[in-house]
Amino acid sequence: MSLEVRPIFSALLRNRTGAVLVALQIAIALAVLANAVFIVEQRIQMVGRPTGIDDDNLFAVDTSGFGAHFDFDSSVKEDLAYLRSLSGVVAASPIDHTPLSGGGSATEVTTRPGQTTGYTALNYFEMDEQGLKTLGAHLLQGRNFRPEEINAPYAQDRSDAFVPQVIITRAVAQALFPGQNALGKVIYNKVGRPATVIGVIEDMLGSWPTIPEAPQLVAIFPRLPRYFGFVYLVRTQPGQRDAIMRTVEEHLAASNPDRVVRSAKTLTSMKRIVYLNDRNMAIFLATVTVLLVAITSLGIFGLATFNVSTRTKQIGTRRAVGARRGDIMRYFMVENGLITTAGVVVGCALALAVGYWLSQNYSLPRLDLYYLVGGILGLWIIGQLAVWQPARRAARVSPSVATRTV
Amino acid sequence: MLTYYLRLALKGFRRAPGLTALMVCAIGLGIAACVMVLTVYHAKSGNPIWWKNDRLYALTMDSWDPTKPYDTRHPSLPPPQMTYKDAMYLHSSKIPERSVVMFKALGVLSGAPAQRKPEPVMARLTTADFFAMFDVPFLYGGGWQAADDSAPGPQIVISRKENDKLFAGANSVGRTIRWNDREFRIVGVLNNWNPLPKFYDLNNGAFDASEDVYIPFGWGAALQLVSAGNNNGWKAEEIKSHRDFLNSETVWLQMWVELPDSAAVQRMQIFLDSYWTEQHKAGRFPRPRNNRLTDVSGWLAANDVVGNDDRVLVGLAFAFLAVCLINTVGLLLAKFLNGASIAGVRRALGASQREIFTQHLVEVGALAVAGALLGLALSTLGLWALRVLFDDSDSMWGASGLPQLIRIDVTSIAATLALAILAALAAGLYPAWRAGRLPPAVYLKSQ
Repeated sequence: MSLEVRPIFSALLRNRTGAVLVALQIAIALAVLANAVFIVEQRIQMVGRPTGIDDDNLFAVDTSGFGAHFDFDSSVKEDLAYLRSLSGVVAASPIDHTPLSGGGSATEVTTRPGQTTGYTALNYFEMDEQGLKTLGAHLLQGRNFRPEEINAPYAQDRSDAFVPQVIITRAVAQALFPGQNALGKVIYNKVGRPATVIGVIEDMLGSWPTIPEAPQLVAIFPRLPRYFGFVYLVRTQPGQRDAIMRTVEEHLAASNPDRVVRSAKTLTSMKRIVYLNDRNMAIFLATVTVLLVAITSLGIFGLATFNVSTRTKQIGTRRAVGARRGDIMRYFMVENGLITTAGVVVGCALALAVGYWLSQNYSLPRLDLYYLVGGILGLWIIGQLAVWQPARRAARVSPSVATRTV
Repeated sequence: MLTYYLRLALKGFRRAPGLTALMVCAIGLGIAACVMVLTVYHAKSGNPIWWKNDRLYALTMDSWDPTKPYDTRHPSLPPPQMTYKDAMYLHSSKIPERSVVMFKALGVLSGAPAQRKPEPVMARLTTADFFAMFDVPFLYGGGWQAADDSAPGPQIVISRKENDKLFAGANSVGRTIRWNDREFRIVGVLNNWNPLPKFYDLNNGAFDASEDVYIPFGWGAALQLVSAGNNNGWKAEEIKSHRDFLNSETVWLQMWVELPDSAAVQRMQIFLDSYWTEQHKAGRFPRPRNNRLTDVSGWLAANDVVGNDDRVLVGLAFAFLAVCLINTVGLLLAKFLNGASIAGVRRALGASQREIFTQHLVEVGALAVAGALLGLALSTLGLWALRVLFDDSDSMWGASGLPQLIRIDVTSIAATLALAILAALAAGLYPAWRAGRLPPAVYLKSQ
């Protein structure tokens, strides 16, 4: 089977402009498609990755005691007893900030005290003995906090003063103690205070899921939070979250005149807010890319249809001198294939240049070549599909057309 | 002549309705995508106090860790906030016309006559110049005196929103109210004021709402208040009391100065540098000297108010527009050359090349107008969708002001017009020129 590439090519050269325009569209489409899909894929992965906590059944109530008569200790005791007495509540714990909320605390730790460098920043939470159960965190090694280990809030200072125990995520264990068992090891803060690792939990996302540094570097200290945030985190049975949240919000707002409820939010809503920009970026990129490919293929289709109708006479002549339907059909398919190939070659260079530029200027990762290959194949198939129908119409042109004048 | 050309154009459209629709859609979609991203970009890149851009300067000093920069993504920048001791010393300088040191803190308002229950609010603890420096409009009353900053007086300024809520919009100046269960006297009520981006404190969200109440800065130390913004420390130092905290290397205060001219800017820079040198000798400021006075637009840029994603989207939208226009050029070219026989007849009957060119350009113009109208409709729809997508009223920090900025405005309409003209010229000139240059004889022969 001869592909008749040479005559098609020379015919194309004689009528360059249209072909060049289509090739140019395909080149830009490839550059956009490969890079956009690459970025969208990363965002989808980030937004969809497991949080490591039972975020579907969690809500957080942010309260502030403000009155002169506000008694922190008795109020916390009372509130926790109330929360834990509610049917449908799995567990509840105070926490300084809520995971996935975009607000939190971090401290720098090391395994060798007294150094000036080599510290690792950990996003930490202060919780009580129901902390792990409330989060729904999965304990891999070691044990949970005991009630007697929960420290009173620190006085109003910011020394990050450690408490003797800490529970860390697997990511922290790997970062601080690579290749070793972290259990029983000691970590130190900047002023050299020690904390012993008593438990290792499966990775969970901390306060800032979208930071480029690992958001799973999380530690939990057995201490009541107070000055730098105080929130009740409550985990419920599936399906009961919203109703319990409303009850709790009303109760806490009314039970103590020296305390206000700032907000009561589900972790589902916090997760939505924290990923809002990334989700929107993905939606916008995907929409524009789909439209771009659609416009390009419709353009190819429109142009091919038009060409078929203007070339009716030539097609008829070719058919009259012996070309079969398949030959005519193949002519248009091969012509489109040639144009797409030219566009794709230019597009590859363009896509790589755009990818490189993005990685240099916008701290995005380098374009993965799989996306380029996928884009090339995709555009090839779309191109062939777009000329399919016009080519079939061309093939149906009767040879008798050649004998008539238009 | 124009009506005749338009009639010809309409005829042309009717001969190829599918093709025409495709071209109008391509132009419309391309324009809509660009208008949408430009509207968002324009909203984010605004300077809400442009008229004082050359007078207001964010003051920063690199007091950070000798082993690493504050922000590894911007290693040349000092921390965006100041330590208490540096801010207090620099605030005492007489060089700036005005100077502001401030932070925000959580609080609770109670005790207004008609108030049923206490209300959580965000407060800004600031020195007295805040209102005059940032041109904050007052509905009633005014701010407090600088003397009330350090030995803080019980003055409070409340936002219009709070005044509407607590006093039903009446003049509440002189009334008392409780903030964190302590009595304050209302000295001023702000008019609507919500600068976006929130240039004076970009720490927690560039489009966050401005604070509900304002009280003298000295209350921070007097009541040992904790900032509800960012507190960042690097130094291994024991902090056992609020005093220790105030003396620490923690950066947590925003500082701005108003300098009327470049001479004042220079004097301030020299003052900063000599303070740095003196402190450096005493063992502080371990990093290279990096004291900065940054004007508002520079400050918005340094803090990445317009993000990388926004720039990528502008690039994407224009690439999309380019594809739409190239598409249209190809289709127009095919259409015009196909209609060559008609042009040939007109040429033979005496129409000049120029007239043929103009006639085709009119056809393109009609396409562009239709495309622009479609583009405007699509961008209105698209911006509405973006407002829904960006809706963060469910945020525990309160809704940001971004969604309300994303709407059709004069800029969007101007952008639509400009893009439509650009589209018509880019897509239509070459095909129209080619159509005008067709030799008439060839197309008459076969008829």
